[in-house]
Amino acid sequence: MSDASLRLSLPERLDLPAAAPLREAVLEHAGKPLVLDASACESLGTPGLQVLLAAAKSWREANTDLSVEGMSEACEAQLAIFGLTPQDLCSKELAE
Amino acid sequence: MSNDPMAEIRASFFIECEELLESLQDGLTAMDDGDTDSETINVCFRAVHSIKGGAGAFGLEELVRFAHRFETVMDEIRNGRLEPTRDTIALFFRGADVLYDIVRASRDGETLDQSTTEAVLSDLEALVGGRIEEEEAEEEIDFAPMTLSLDPLDAEGDDEAAGEAPPGVHVRFHPAAELFSSGNEPRHMLAALRDFGEIQTTCDLSRLPALADLVPEEGAIGWDVQITTTARKEEVSEVFEFVDGLCELSIEVSGSPAAGLPDLDSIVIPGTVDDADSPASAAAEESEPDPEPEPVAPAPEPPAARAQAPEAKPAATPAKEGKQAASGAKATVRVDLDRIERLVNLVGELVINQAMLSQSVAEAGIPANSTVASGLEEFLQLTRDIQESVMMIRAQPVKSLFQRMSRIVRESSAMVGKSVRFITDGEQTEIDKTVIERLADPLTHMVRNAVDHGLETTEGRIAAGKPADGVVTLSAAHKSGRVVLEIKDDGGGINREAVKAKAEEKGLIAPGVPMSDQEIDNLLFLPGFSTAKEVSDLSGRGVGMDVVRSSIQALGGRVTITSEPGVGTTFSISLPLTLAVLDGMVVEAGGEILVVPLGSISETLTLQASDMEQLGAGTQLVRIREEFVPILDMAVQLGFRTPLDSYEGSSVLLIAMEDNTRSALVVDRIVEQRQVVIKGLQESYGRVPGIAAATILGNGRIALILDPADLIASAGSSRTMQTFDLAG
Repeated sequence: MSDASLRLSLPERLDLPAAAPLREAVLEHAGKPLVLDASACESLGTPGLQVLLAAAKSWREANTDLSVEGMSEACEAQLAIFGLTPQDLCSKELAE
Repeated sequence: MSNDPMAEIRASFFIECEELLESLQDGLTAMDDGDTDSETINVCFRAVHSIKGGAGAFGLEELVRFAHRFETVMDEIRNGRLEPTRDTIALFFRGADVLYDIVRASRDGETLDQSTTEAVLSDLEALVGGRIEEEEAEEEIDFAPMTLSLDPLDAEGDDEAAGEAPPGVHVRFHPAAELFSSGNEPRHMLAALRDFGEIQTTCDLSRLPALADLVPEEGAIGWDVQITTTARKEEVSEVFEFVDGLCELSIEVSGSPAAGLPDLDSIVIPGTVDDADSPASAAAEESEPDPEPEPVAPAPEPPAARAQAPEAKPAATPAKEGKQAASGAKATVRVDLDRIERLVNLVGELVINQAMLSQSVAEAGIPANSTVASGLEEFLQLTRDIQESVMMIRAQPVKSLFQRMSRIVRESSAMVGKSVRFITDGEQTEIDKTVIERLADPLTHMVRNAVDHGLETTEGRIAAGKPADGVVTLSAAHKSGRVVLEIKDDGGGINREAVKAKAEEKGLIAPGVPMSDQEIDNLLFLPGFSTAKEVSDLSGRGVGMDVVRSSIQALGGRVTITSEPGVGTTFSISLPLTLAVLDGMVVEAGGEILVVPLGSISETLTLQASDMEQLGAGTQLVRIREEFVPILDMAVQLGFRTPLDSYEGSSVLLIAMEDNTRSALVVDRIVEQRQVVIKGLQESYGRVPGIAAATILGNGRIALILDPADLIASAGSSRTMQTFDLAG
């Protein structure tokens, strides 16, 4: 399924200035399966995180695939500080 | 940016850092002198730790990273696993230098050359055999609260061992939009909570809307954090100190206190000085009075007055003050420099006003023994006292400056491979803050010179029968209303023959002219003296002693050299106490009233016809004790009038130039000698040749304050051109 999905790259710093543009970009693909490529992302701020969480929620409610891929260890560690795992950013249970 | 509260708090943090770095230097110096008791080591540790804590709150990752590793190694000494040998302390000094650089770079948003940092880091790591663990989980997935795992003295580490039901603090935290817009990031606070102990973070998504309804700049998510810790509620709330009012926040104590350490929450009475000490000393069997509160606090020492948890401060502060009291710290208030600036200006106005009043009283013909006159006399005295007191507010001990120089000595001696002992004297001598800042560059250069050129090589010293360690002494003292700084080395003294030969070779002086020792020494200050041949890695940075001298002169100061072959060289800098007032001689030239700084006048005299000699066209000389000095008419130089035919009966101010030559400035008459308030002109007019500033006189008139040396120098060059014209 993810082969057919659109891919969207997350910026290096997902901070306050990056949050609103990200929301716009993700909203453009509303209703369609989407893969967020987090391989470039190094810093995760709360405003950006809110966009990712809200997106996962919306996609989940629409029963559409949304997943985050290629997250760096640093990014995962930051997620852990927030009390979250990469799973929380996906609309469905991860296959792995 | 100035209205940004975050920027202000950040600025306070960096001020705090400077103070912490200073106490770190003090502690290290004490350790270097053999004082390695636990208290001294604690002072150093705490300084680094507090910097780390603050840096964490501001997300200064590089600073956190370095400070963390640094404090970890210090901690090894604290708990006796590492000996504080000379080499270790030397490494700590280097560490303190790097820390200083990183603080500076973080403050100014600059990037640092990583090689020094990395070199010190790897040396530090080598010292503890790679036992350093990473701090921020941002880079690592290491969840262990690190400070604690390394320190058995920390109570938190013993929680589990105690077998008691773990005590803890529960934090509920939901950011508001203002929290983000003010530059705060919840992640840093959540990360800081982990320093307290084992934590369980749950992200609260109950208020999260669908993406279409989300405003990312507002707080849509929150957190519940359960921390297993013996830390007090107040300590935990310090983490959120800077976001007070920018979030929904509740912090509650849960669980039962640990056996060995009473829960301070239950016994702390706000404002009682003893609280912090008594439980700690009861709990600690060793001589360490408060190992708990400081090391675990991740927030910076609250620099701003607005503390979110006021009750947290009385409990935390006395312990700290107790430490400082040992080193004789005084209570201080932090005041915005602008406010002091305003006060200084107002006092300046007061001085002017008082002068005007004196003048009116004199003009009204009121007798000197009247009550008005004696009251005015008292007023005058009071004005002077107020003025001096206000100037003292701006005065600062030169200690911070001297500490910076100790680093220069360490670095430069390492670079040239000389072993140097650095001695400071009079660190508590106070100088105007603005002067201190502007002294750093010239002093750096002179200290480098002392190490590089002043001292002989180690072999040279041994051959000369001197101790192998060279000594550079930096001292400060108040002398007759001025501050005198001395940079002294015990090297070989100035090689006058070489200096003279070099000056001749460079064409700075005519060959074969006999010169006094002092004249030769002063050649060092000539522009163009310090050039390629002189350049070494160290001193040769394109800055010669001429630049040093002009920057000292710009501060109203003088530099002099004394040197004795085989014994050493001393550079003395004499500075005025303040840049705001000046003792001046009020003179009249061409109908204008002018002020000449008293410090630049060596003597005054009245011209007699017999004293004067004509030299060619337009140049007149005055004979002063068998010496001829060229005469310059001040009014002509300033363009007030054309030269007079005769200057007989005029007053002459003999101006001593820095190169020990003298010039005679002719004025119509000397009015009086008095203190004047300096009013800068540069902002409005730029630099005016020959004019230093302006002042307001007692009668309300504005008078220019001259820079005689500059006036004479520019006259010298125009005269040379005239001669050239005639010749051509």
